[in-house]
Amino acid sequence: MSSDLLSIARSGAKAARAALDVTAQNIANASSEGYVRRSVGLSEVSAAGGVGRTGDISLSGVRVNGITRDADVFRQAEVRRTGADAARADAEVKGLENIEAAVEQTGVYDATVRFEGALQQLVSEPTDGSLRASVIESGRTLASTFNVTASSLDAAGKGLRFEAQDGVDQVNLLTGELARVNARLGRAADASSDQSTLLDQRDSLLQRLSGQIDVTASFNPDKTVDLRVGSATGPQLLAGQSAGTLAMTAANDGTIAFTLDGAAVTPSSGALAGKGQALQQLAATRGQIDAVAAGIVAAVNTAQTGGVDLSGAAGQPLFAGTGAADMAMAQTDGAKIATAPAGAAANSRDATNLGALRTALATADPAGNLDSAIFDVSSAVAGRTVTRDALDTIAGTARVALQAQAGVDLDQEAVNLVRFQQAFQASGRVMQVAKDLFDTLLNLH
Amino acid sequence: MTIVSTSTSAFFERARNEMTALRSRAETLQGEIGSGSRLSRSSDDPVAASRLRTLMRSDSLSKIDTSNANRATADLNLADSALSDFADAIARARELATQAANGTLTNAQRASIGTELAGIRDSMVGLANSRDSSGHALFGGESAGQAYTLDAAGNARYAGTASASDLPLGDGQSVTRSLTGPEFLNFGSTDLLASMKTLADALQGGSSDPQGAARSALDSLSAGLDAVTTGQTVVGARLAWIDLTTERRTNLGELRAGEESDVGGTDLASTVAKLQEMMTVLEASQASFGKLAGLSLFDRIT
Repeated sequence: MSSDLLSIARSGAKAARAALDVTAQNIANASSEGYVRRSVGLSEVSAAGGVGRTGDISLSGVRVNGITRDADVFRQAEVRRTGADAARADAEVKGLENIEAAVEQTGVYDATVRFEGALQQLVSEPTDGSLRASVIESGRTLASTFNVTASSLDAAGKGLRFEAQDGVDQVNLLTGELARVNARLGRAADASSDQSTLLDQRDSLLQRLSGQIDVTASFNPDKTVDLRVGSATGPQLLAGQSAGTLAMTAANDGTIAFTLDGAAVTPSSGALAGKGQALQQLAATRGQIDAVAAGIVAAVNTAQTGGVDLSGAAGQPLFAGTGAADMAMAQTDGAKIATAPAGAAANSRDATNLGALRTALATADPAGNLDSAIFDVSSAVAGRTVTRDALDTIAGTARVALQAQAGVDLDQEAVNLVRFQQAFQASGRVMQVAKDLFDTLLNLH
Repeated sequence: MTIVSTSTSAFFERARNEMTALRSRAETLQGEIGSGSRLSRSSDDPVAASRLRTLMRSDSLSKIDTSNANRATADLNLADSALSDFADAIARARELATQAANGTLTNAQRASIGTELAGIRDSMVGLANSRDSSGHALFGGESAGQAYTLDAAGNARYAGTASASDLPLGDGQSVTRSLTGPEFLNFGSTDLLASMKTLADALQGGSSDPQGAARSALDSLSAGLDAVTTGQTVVGARLAWIDLTTERRTNLGELRAGEESDVGGTDLASTVAKLQEMMTVLEASQASFGKLAGLSLFDRIT
């Protein structure tokens, strides 16, 4: 077998063209999300000599082996893992911030202090109409502030559950997409550009999925991916082309739980986990606020029944309702505040029962309990924000590390462009030489 | 050999992350300067925010203590001036009784003194029914009506409660806002208003020995003057107590204001300096980013 200079040069020119194409593709996708830098794998084509022809020169040039996708599987896994942690912390902090705003910015603490103050002011003149009216009005403000707080908390919970449901839909959508990618990967030829595109798609889908829920990916020899929720022994989310279905249920207190194909599953990171944690804090805060409201209602109403109002009639409950949401003012007339002890005459200035009311309220300590409720949630926000920032930094570093390795470096592509252009020109020159040689032989006289 | 150790997108991402972080820190500092407060929400510093809430509550309740103290001061000042009037009236009554005890006076002259004494006693009943700053009986304790009522025979009967009400002044302290009538008009077994009526009646012909009645009334009038003066001393002591608690409350308020600014306020000088530092770093990194981003090999290869 012999060599053919012209066909060697042709294969060289072809390989250089392919390399130039890939370089151009890299440059074009330098800022495409999820694009992994490609390079061309080249190998020499030569034949071994047969029996008795070991001295033969049989060179056939070069061929394109395939397109290599320069993705580091470990760094990709790190990006997914740290991204899921960061997404969980971020979702939790955002939810907690909403809870904090609902409790703090509705001014429920200030309203409680004003109600206490109005009662304290009434001590100075228990029969004064304007001071009594001020107690009723500050009570009404207190009740409606509690109502607003409860509805703000409910709205925050509703928003979180809506987002969580959207996250669940996203997970199902992305898992379905991955099942389709798996199906197509099974059919794509090895190392083809088609397969590289599918792998890009697969990795980008995995990254988006891990933002919602933590998954462990295992890659099969045919480059398809299987997914389990949580660790490598967790419930299977995706096996080949069969995708599981994630579902969400909300409990009465607003907390959420997830099921995968009917079986309970608890994600430990990802936005879904963060939203679940925020909803748990929300349920706890809601319970605290309800307890404070119920404490005020019980303390005031019990003390009321122990005394007589301005007209000498037995005291009636001032507040209606049993929690923050339904707390309301039952009386509109300041005269109904039972400041005098039982048995006192009408218009009595004896403030014994008002003293008992204030003592009962001080024992219930609504201001102190609200303060600790606000403190609980705000210190949770402060603590989790530190965690979130740390996890964000870690996730950012992992992302940059992956990009540094798998992303396109334009300077390097510029050099490749020159290098492969030169290679192409050199192969052309070889063709010229082949032609010259042929001409030399033809022109022998 | 690779030319640079990083990819183009990694370079941009890193620059973006760093500059966003710097910018958001600068904006936080700007917010602190703008609001004058280190905390824009509780989670910025939960412990400080909780402390601020407690301080705010103390401030708000302390204002009500101040208004209670003002009310008590007004009532006690009213009581004080009424007691001065009582003292003047009793002194005048004693003068008249001294005259009536003089043996040179005729019974007719004693009767006219008796008429004047009856007038003084009526005005004392009026004084005893003075009103306080909110229109209630000043010397009637917690009574909703008059402190003294007159029966058909013209005898003054105390109709109020046994003691005057206490007003809280904060920190568990309180002050009694006035005196009750019997606290300075009754002493020993004597009721001053009753004994004055007896004297006036005796001088006006109700007794066979008006001179003796006047002489014996002198003692109880002197004791009455003592009782009223003692009442004034008590009122003065209560006013001084209010002054003391007011001063203490003012001092505590100043301490709270100081703590509030320590806990929640922003130190303007250091915050502005920090902001300046941040801006310098931000400008430098923007400038270097601009230079680096403009560095492309494609411009060099021709």
